[in-house]
Amino acid sequence: MQDVTNLTRTQLDALREIGNIGSGNAASALAQFLNRKIDMAVPSASIMDFKAIPAIIGGPDKTVMGIFLKVMGEISGRFLLLIPEKTSLKLLHTLIPGCEIDTPLKMGELESSCMREVGNILAGAFLNALSVITQTPMLNSLPSMTYDMAGAMIDSIVADMTAISDKVLMIETSFIESEEDLRIHIFLLPDPASLQLLLKKIGVV
Amino acid sequence: MSAVIPVGMAELKIARCPEQLVVYGIGSCVIVSLYDPKSKAGGLAHVMLPDSTGIDPKVINPLKFADTAVPALYEALTGAGAFKSSLVAKIVGGSEMFPPTEDFENNIGRDNTEAVKKALKKLSLPLIAEDTGGRRGRSIEFDLESGIIKLSILGEELREI
Repeated sequence: MQDVTNLTRTQLDALREIGNIGSGNAASALAQFLNRKIDMAVPSASIMDFKAIPAIIGGPDKTVMGIFLKVMGEISGRFLLLIPEKTSLKLLHTLIPGCEIDTPLKMGELESSCMREVGNILAGAFLNALSVITQTPMLNSLPSMTYDMAGAMIDSIVADMTAISDKVLMIETSFIESEEDLRIHIFLLPDPASLQLLLKKIGVV
Repeated sequence: MSAVIPVGMAELKIARCPEQLVVYGIGSCVIVSLYDPKSKAGGLAHVMLPDSTGIDPKVINPLKFADTAVPALYEALTGAGAFKSSLVAKIVGGSEMFPPTEDFENNIGRDNTEAVKKALKKLSLPLIAEDTGGRRGRSIEFDLESGIIKLSILGEELREI
């Protein structure tokens, strides 16, 4: 099995590039259904100590919307969207006519279902691009959603990945709608067991 | 002003009155607290996974796992002068943050909770309180003066165990 801590700079660059293509596709999907221009931050592919992940989005007790999907297929992994409160309310107000809730804690079935669909569309767009590049079908599970502390979500997602290493490979990017400072953070965590195949498919073994 | 000591994932910390131990954003992890009311010493272990079988402790931090972190916490406390016979345990966490869907479920929280209970039982440590399971994240403050754990959960009243 490829150990994530031994990845070379070229391999990380290649992973960052697939992050770029995947999130570019997801950004277009988002721009289309919001009918707005969406900017994308330069993605990063990094090997992180699992303990450092919550700090990226403002600390373990920062409250955010989290949408989680499993990536299934020969190349498997986890896909997580973290959406700050302000952005999630904006999405709900834009996508659901008449929606006026002022906190995600008041989300009902309609609002939850809408956010899960946002997750589904973004993950689908991201993974479609990856499937094309890797010539390997990658599917996402149905999305699961929660609104809670970022640290609590991240420990649940990375726990079993840390059974074999303290480090995880994370491809991360953000979407920014600059007029209103709306942000969405995207994290793709390839399963350590399928990393070798992913590297092979993108030609950097 | 007494010290407030944070305990991160896969960490173990012991402290004494008037210090406080705190943990923010607990999801499927389980926090094990041991407290000796006589010496007012206590400690927390932040467990991420149930079982260390097959891991190499030189490579992987054994404090990640219930079966190794609980004995380590016990030894750290008794080594620091806590009375074995008066130690009591409380546990917090083990939730399932993301509701299961048709095609996946993640029960690490439940597995962690069960493994921690088993490890406590093995050391004959009495479990006197727990706040585990459910779908919400938790943050805690462990007060070494009283042994009380204050729990905060998004959208719920503060509570104590």
